[in-house]
Amino acid sequence: MEKIICLENINYHYHDAISALTDISLEIKRGERFAIIGANGTGKTTLLQIMNGLISPSSGKLFFKGDEVLKQTLKDKGFLRFFRGRVGYVFQDSDVQLFCPTVLDELLYGPLQLEIGETEAMDRAFEMMKMLNIEHLKERPTYMLSGGEKKKVAIGSVLTMNPEVLLLDEPTNGLDSKMQCFLVELMLALNEAGKTLVIATHDLSLVDELQATVGVLSEEHRMEKTGSAIDILKDEELLLRVNLIHEHIHRHRDIAHRHIHSHYLFHRHENS
Amino acid sequence: MRDQIPPFLLHRPSSNSFRLEGRNLRTPFLEKGMDRLAEMIKTAYSQWEYASREGFFQKIDARIKVLFLIFFVVIVSLKKNIGSEGLIGIFVFSLMLISRLNVFHLYKRILLFGLIFGSLVALPSILNLFGEGEVLFTLLRLSTPYEFWIYSIPQEIGITKEGLYGMVMLTLRVINSLSITFLLLYTTPFPEIIKALKVFRVPDTFLIIITLTYKYLFLFAKTVEDMHLAKKSRLLREMRHRETRKWVAGRVAFIFRKTRLRTEEVYKAMLCRGFSDTITIRQTAKLRQCDWVAGISLFLIGCLLLWI
Repeated sequence: MEKIICLENINYHYHDAISALTDISLEIKRGERFAIIGANGTGKTTLLQIMNGLISPSSGKLFFKGDEVLKQTLKDKGFLRFFRGRVGYVFQDSDVQLFCPTVLDELLYGPLQLEIGETEAMDRAFEMMKMLNIEHLKERPTYMLSGGEKKKVAIGSVLTMNPEVLLLDEPTNGLDSKMQCFLVELMLALNEAGKTLVIATHDLSLVDELQATVGVLSEEHRMEKTGSAIDILKDEELLLRVNLIHEHIHRHRDIAHRHIHSHYLFHRHENS
Repeated sequence: MRDQIPPFLLHRPSSNSFRLEGRNLRTPFLEKGMDRLAEMIKTAYSQWEYASREGFFQKIDARIKVLFLIFFVVIVSLKKNIGSEGLIGIFVFSLMLISRLNVFHLYKRILLFGLIFGSLVALPSILNLFGEGEVLFTLLRLSTPYEFWIYSIPQEIGITKEGLYGMVMLTLRVINSLSITFLLLYTTPFPEIIKALKVFRVPDTFLIIITLTYKYLFLFAKTVEDMHLAKKSRLLREMRHRETRKWVAGRVAFIFRKTRLRTEEVYKAMLCRGFSDTITIRQTAKLRQCDWVAGISLFLIGCLLLWI
C-alpha cells in the first residue's frame, strides 16, 4: 500500500523549553485506520496538528504522498490547495472549529474554498446533512447546537471537502454512547469508502472497535510502540507503563478486589 | 451507514500531483495580529519556567522582591548622573546572571523597549530647537535666526550636550527600571507576586480578581490560537480583507459569549464552595531568616547606590 503520511524524527518544543514530542517517526498507508494513543499531555494533538501542517516541528520532516510539507511550501497556493484539499482535520473542541453563521454556511465553506461550483457545493452540503441526519439544523446558528450536533457539523464541514485523509482529535470525547456508536459506524463506513483515518485518542474501546493500527505515545513524548490493535491491547505491561490502564480497588458485595482497570479490556479478576 | 455515504465521498482525486504557483499567500494583518497576541500571552510559559529554576533571586520571598522593585525604581528615578545609573545597571545584570536567567533573551527585549521609550521619545530634545545648550554637532546653519510667538529657531541647529545627556539619562532610567521589573517577573511565579501585594494592604477581592483574570487570559489565548488553527486547516486561498474582518468580528463575538458563560460557571463554582460576599485568601507564611538577610542586604546596597 502507498505511504500517504510519513514522519521522520519529529521533535517539537513549546517556547523552546517544554518538550511535546521526541523523535517521532511513523508511516501511515493509504486507506489505513491509524490510532495514536497516549495518556493526557503526551502530545497526541500536537502530533496531529503537525500532520496537518498547522504547526511546524522544531526538527524532523513531514511528507505527504512523498512531497515534503514545509512552512514555506504551505504558503504556495498550488501546494496549499493540493494539501488542504486532501487532508482534513476535526478538532477536539467543535466550538473553535465552527466559525460560520449557520450550519449550512459551515458545510459550504470548504467546497467554496476549493472553488467548486455553487450548485455542486450545495449538493454536497445537502447530501452531507442527510447522511449525518442534521437536515433540520440547516439554518441554525452553530452556537445553538448540542455537543453531539456540533461534532456532526464539524465532521460534515470537513467531509464536504472530500479529503483523502481524515485526522480526528479525540472524536468521541464528551459524547453520549449513542453518538459514540454513530461516530464509530461513520468512521468505519468512511474508511470502507477509501478514506485514511488517523485518530488521536485515549479511549481503548474505540481502538478495539476500529481495529486500527496503533501508535502508543509515552509520557516522555516518544513513540513507545506501533502495532495492530490486538497486539497493543494485549500488552498490559506497555499500557500500564504509558498510564493508559491502572490498578484500582472496587467492591463486589462485601469483597474488595484490586485489579488492573482500563474501563474496558482488563476488567478481570485474579480469581476468575 | 455504508449505504448512506454520498457518492461524492467515493470519488478520488484524479491527480496525485500539484503545480507550484510560485505565489505566496499573505496572512491578513488582523488575523496575524490576533494570532501574535495569543502567542505573546502564552510566552508567560517561559516566565514560569525561569521562575521555577534554582537561582539566587528565585529563592527570595516574593514580598522582599516586590519591595526591592519599588525601592530600586525610586532610586533609578532619583539618580541624576550617568555613572550611578550605570552602576545600578551592572548590579541588576549581575543579579540576573546569578539567578541563571537567559540574559541575552531578556536584554534583547529590554534594550528594544529602552530604545523606543527612552531614546526615540527623547530624540527631539537633543536639538537646540527645544532647549538651550552647548552645541556639539551642527546639523543645519540658517541664514538668520527666526522668532515667532513663543518659538525661536536659532541660526545654528544642532545637537546639544545637555540634550544628549538628558536622552542618555532617560534611556538608562528606562533600561534600569525595565531590568528590575523583568528580574522580578522572571524569578517569581505570577501568583506569588499577587500574594505579595498583600504587604501593601491591597484588598483580597482585588487580588482574587487579578488572579482570575490572569488565569482566564491564558485559557482564552489558547482558544484564540485554536480558532486560528481551525481556520487555517480549511483555508485554501488568500482571504479578502472583508472576509477577514467578518471572521475576526465573529470570533470576537464568540469569545464574548464564551467569556460570559464562563463567568457564570465560575461564579456558580464559587457559590457552591461557600462564597458569600467576601473573599478571604490564604495568609502568607512568615519570612525566613534568609529572606531577612537578602532583604537587608538589598536595602543596604540600595542606600549605598543612593548615596554614591
